Amino acid sequence: MSPQALVALVLNLLAVLAIVGLFAAAGKLFGPRSKPEGDAHMPYETGLPPLSPSHESMTALYWRYAVLFVVFDVDLAFLLPWALARPALDAAALAAISVFVFLILFMLAYFWRKGVLECR
Amino acid sequence: MNILLPQFALAGGVLGVLGLGLLRRPPFWAVRLTVLLAPAAAILLLQVVPASYVPPLLNVDLKSLGWQLVIYVAALPMALRASGDDVEATLFLGAVLGMGLLAAAGNLPMLFIGLEFMSLPAYLLVARAGRGDASRKIEAALKYFFAGALAGGVFLLGMALFYWDTRQLGVSLTPLGPLGQAGAALMAVAALFKIGAVPLQWWLPDVYEAAAPEVVGFLSTAMKSAAVFFLMRVVQVAPATDVAALLPWVGAATSLFGAVMALRQERLQRLLAYSSMAHAGLLILGVGAWAKLGQSSAAAASILFYLGAYAFMSNGTFGFLSVTGLKTRSQLKGYASRQPGPALAFAVLLFSLGGIPPTGGFIAKLLVFWQAIAAGLTGPVLVGAVSALVSLGYYLALVRDIYFEEPCEGVPEPGPAGPRVLILVCALVSLVLGAAPLLLKNLAGVFWR
Repeated sequence: MSPQALVALVLNLLAVLAIVGLFAAAGKLFGPRSKPEGDAHMPYETGLPPLSPSHESMTALYWRYAVLFVVFDVDLAFLLPWALARPALDAAALAAISVFVFLILFMLAYFWRKGVLECR
Repeated sequence: MNILLPQFALAGGVLGVLGLGLLRRPPFWAVRLTVLLAPAAAILLLQVVPASYVPPLLNVDLKSLGWQLVIYVAALPMALRASGDDVEATLFLGAVLGMGLLAAAGNLPMLFIGLEFMSLPAYLLVARAGRGDASRKIEAALKYFFAGALAGGVFLLGMALFYWDTRQLGVSLTPLGPLGQAGAALMAVAALFKIGAVPLQWWLPDVYEAAAPEVVGFLSTAMKSAAVFFLMRVVQVAPATDVAALLPWVGAATSLFGAVMALRQERLQRLLAYSSMAHAGLLILGVGAWAKLGQSSAAAASILFYLGAYAFMSNGTFGFLSVTGLKTRSQLKGYASRQPGPALAFAVLLFSLGGIPPTGGFIAKLLVFWQAIAAGLTGPVLVGAVSALVSLGYYLALVRDIYFEEPCEGVPEPGPAGPRVLILVCALVSLVLGAAPLLLKNLAGVFWR
């Protein structure tokens, strides 16, 4: 790595820090000064007192679906290169991808069996 | 493809256990049998695996075979104590499979896959396995997960920098530039994170205290062996790095920190967690000596012997906690009059951990210190020896509590008698390793050829 490249890297880093810092501090720097008083720290400042605490835990009924979707989505991404290269592949590659597909189906069956696919 | 046969056996075990999980009520005995057979088959299949290098992904050299042997053997006690739960069995076998893949990895992406493969099931094992307070275990698992995720991220960053400098992901024979050095340093940091070296040790005592004892036995032996291997492979990939020169001091600091912190612990599992840290420090010192000696196989053998001896010591002590259900040091008082057999085995294991001569722990420490002195690392060895001396302060105190104190009230009833055999076997092996190091040398010769 040449000294020039290093200098460029450092300058780039400084520029990034300066720009991000400027954006982050823009409100404080250019905005009108105001004293936080009264209900200024309330969420939304609607003028009405909040009905419940804003830090409320929510149930995520759908999270298992979401996790499974990501897993199978990534798995299927492996099939794409195989499909594109298929004319050039031989029986061994077919066997390998068959094992892979079998494993995916096996996993699907396992999750189905364990009741993960039911929305509760 | 027969160089991955042990890993195939483990993968078959994973699929088998999952297949059993498909049944409405998975038969208890079948799950336990599969969990036991898979690592046992992996150990047997190691014999037929040729030591060879298959570029670009795999490098099953003699070191890899030796490490796989220790990892699979260290996993056996946990397999013996497996509950009939198919999910837990899958997680356990998956973690062992990940360790096997890590130990067979030849380049950096494969190392990373092995690292994540062994870590992700381990987090869930900490959260799920065993009885006891579920919320504490989940908290520990989350801490473990964040520490592990951080280590994984640091490793990826280091790998990217390394690739930027060298344009390859295998062993680099050219001198590294500044970026490559930084990359190698970050990768070593990730490995030290997994081992729990000072100053990256904060997650370890909490995790080891909250998890089930048999899981801690598994983590502190098999997982630690894999993590040490990981560190050695990183040093191997970037041999010309300056990081290796720092390792002995990191190891000495870790060892001293663990020994001093263990002195004041009241809860047994936390005490043994710090003791495990002290041992890990000596292992890192050994890796530093190995790097300085030009990656000599004698130094690698000393580390492997240490890991092998420690596998029995640690699995035995945590097995003792698991069987007897003891939590604090005061419960240990006068335990010899309640349960003479297990108490004697525990005392032998403590002597071995402390490095008292007729045990495997003594030979292990001797070998590692010997190699470190041969590498000219006098300073770190002195610190390591001081920490070994300090550690006697609590090992011997525990033995005194067992034999020379009045029994106290409120001690939990011990579990079934079956698993006690495991502790006895571990203690016996520790004695045998100390009495006949030549025996193991011959055994290792099978893999060292």
